Amino acid sequence: MKGTLALCLSALALACGGSIAAAVVSLPGPILLACGILGLIAAAGLAYSLIHIAADVQTMTQTLRTDRPILDSLRSPALKPLAGAVRECLDKTLQPLQNARREIQELSLQLQLLRRRKSGIEAILNSIHDAVLVCDDQDRLILANPAAEKILGFESEKAALKPLKEHLADNPLADMIIRARSSKVRHVRHELSLNRSGSTAWFDCLLSSVLDDSGQVISVVAVLHDITREKEISQAKNDFVSHVSHELKTPLASINAYAEMLVDGEAQDEAAIRQFCEIIQGQAQRLNRLIEDILNISRIESGLMKVNRQNLSLALIIRDAVEMMQSYAQEKNITLAAPAPILCDQVYADRDMMMQVVVNLLSNAVKYTPTGGSVSVQFDMNDVDGTITVSVTDTGIGIPEQDMDKLFGKFFRVEANKNFAKGTGLGLNLVRQIVETVHNGRVFVRSKQGQGSTFGFVLPITSPKTASIA
Amino acid sequence: MADRKALVVDDEFHIVQVVAIKLKNNGFDVLTADNGAAAYTLAVQHKPDIIVTDYQMPALTGLELIEKLRADEKTAAIPVIMLTARGFAIEDQQKQKLNIAACLSKPFSPREVLQTVEEVLKQTVHA
Repeated sequence: MKGTLALCLSALALACGGSIAAAVVSLPGPILLACGILGLIAAAGLAYSLIHIAADVQTMTQTLRTDRPILDSLRSPALKPLAGAVRECLDKTLQPLQNARREIQELSLQLQLLRRRKSGIEAILNSIHDAVLVCDDQDRLILANPAAEKILGFESEKAALKPLKEHLADNPLADMIIRARSSKVRHVRHELSLNRSGSTAWFDCLLSSVLDDSGQVISVVAVLHDITREKEISQAKNDFVSHVSHELKTPLASINAYAEMLVDGEAQDEAAIRQFCEIIQGQAQRLNRLIEDILNISRIESGLMKVNRQNLSLALIIRDAVEMMQSYAQEKNITLAAPAPILCDQVYADRDMMMQVVVNLLSNAVKYTPTGGSVSVQFDMNDVDGTITVSVTDTGIGIPEQDMDKLFGKFFRVEANKNFAKGTGLGLNLVRQIVETVHNGRVFVRSKQGQGSTFGFVLPITSPKTASIA
Repeated sequence: MADRKALVVDDEFHIVQVVAIKLKNNGFDVLTADNGAAAYTLAVQHKPDIIVTDYQMPALTGLELIEKLRADEKTAAIPVIMLTARGFAIEDQQKQKLNIAACLSKPFSPREVLQTVEEVLKQTVHA
């Protein structure tokens, strides 16, 4: 019987190789058992196989009736072969299920990962200031981040899968993308200018073609980086170089011309020779001042300026500066007035720098005041808040309202006043750098176009000691 | 023999002076102005044979001055030499349109200015 059982189990194992479960059933004798085995073989692939075990498996049937786990009963030594066969059958049957379950778990994990990556990429795309657009091989928009919507003025949901030209009509970007797609160039860079609310914005536009394995373009990615600020800085630098070269060339032209006149004997007497030499000397000094201005701004900005602070009287500096500027004011018949100096040290500051501040303010005031006008200097000490205010007021041409907040900027010149007098746009910037960056003060301006201006600065009062007049 | 009259215009006093001295020493009667508007008034009043003007000036720029001179029949034919400091060349088209005889860039040579003035006047006489 045991041999028959072994055969039966072998057949069962064969029969159940691809099925999903097995069951136990009773058969009366060897013939029927053989029929059963044949039946099992014939029924390979069915969900259930039937096996009868009579006396030998009585224990097991009893166990089943008492609801004990079937495998426990199969552990009895007599049933070991059957248990093994059933186990093997179950293992083989369940293996594909387990494999499928593992695959599902892996796919689920991958899906979660992909979702996380997608939301991460979306978060990155949504957070960056650069505009990102992706178009398919039919030049239809398939992705655009919020920056692209803002810069290019469309809603990506409405624009999705519609021809690019519908949404970027009159925008050269559409043609750039189409050209990039048709040329199959991997990366191409363009500079793009767009009009936005009345002003021009500049973009560095990088177009990248995405190719499939066969080399066909499947999409084009456009990234627009705003370079308007860089353009403005570059323009300011160009303007600066242009202004500076002009300012350098003017005294250089005089030096060159008068030197040539001396060589050519065009100075007809000793007085003329002396005059020419003095002009050359004066123009060389002017050239030096200009170079010093440029270098000083550069030194202050880079923190390399050597500052020699000392207790000093601003009133005395004003007196000296007014004396220095008197001849220039007289040339234009401008009255230049300053208050009597107060004999005390008011500030802890660099003398040369403060002198430059006052001279620059006075020079500007005289420069932009028409012949016959007046320039006056005031200073007020405020013991309550511990500050001293120096103001230079003129009866000059004044400044348009819209230019007031740009006056102390580097290289800035009032367009409306450019033809009134020449300048580099460096003087007031140097004043601000010296007062605010070096001395922790502040500069100010009040002006009305056509009615004159007041430029000034406020510094903290320090060390009120008695000073001697130089 | 100051039978030739030149008008020199520049807002830089020393430039006006050096060109004026060079031309005076070489037989010119020289008028000077420090801005375009004053130069136009002098040109209308004195009808100089030639004008040497700076480009960037207050009141009227060099180009604006020339436009005004060309628009006025009393001054339309006066040859003009322009001094430019910015290192840019005035476009040929504009040069032709405004009939600018020559452009010299700063720093310039007074010798070169005199030579150019003489050449331009010669061409004007022969024209």
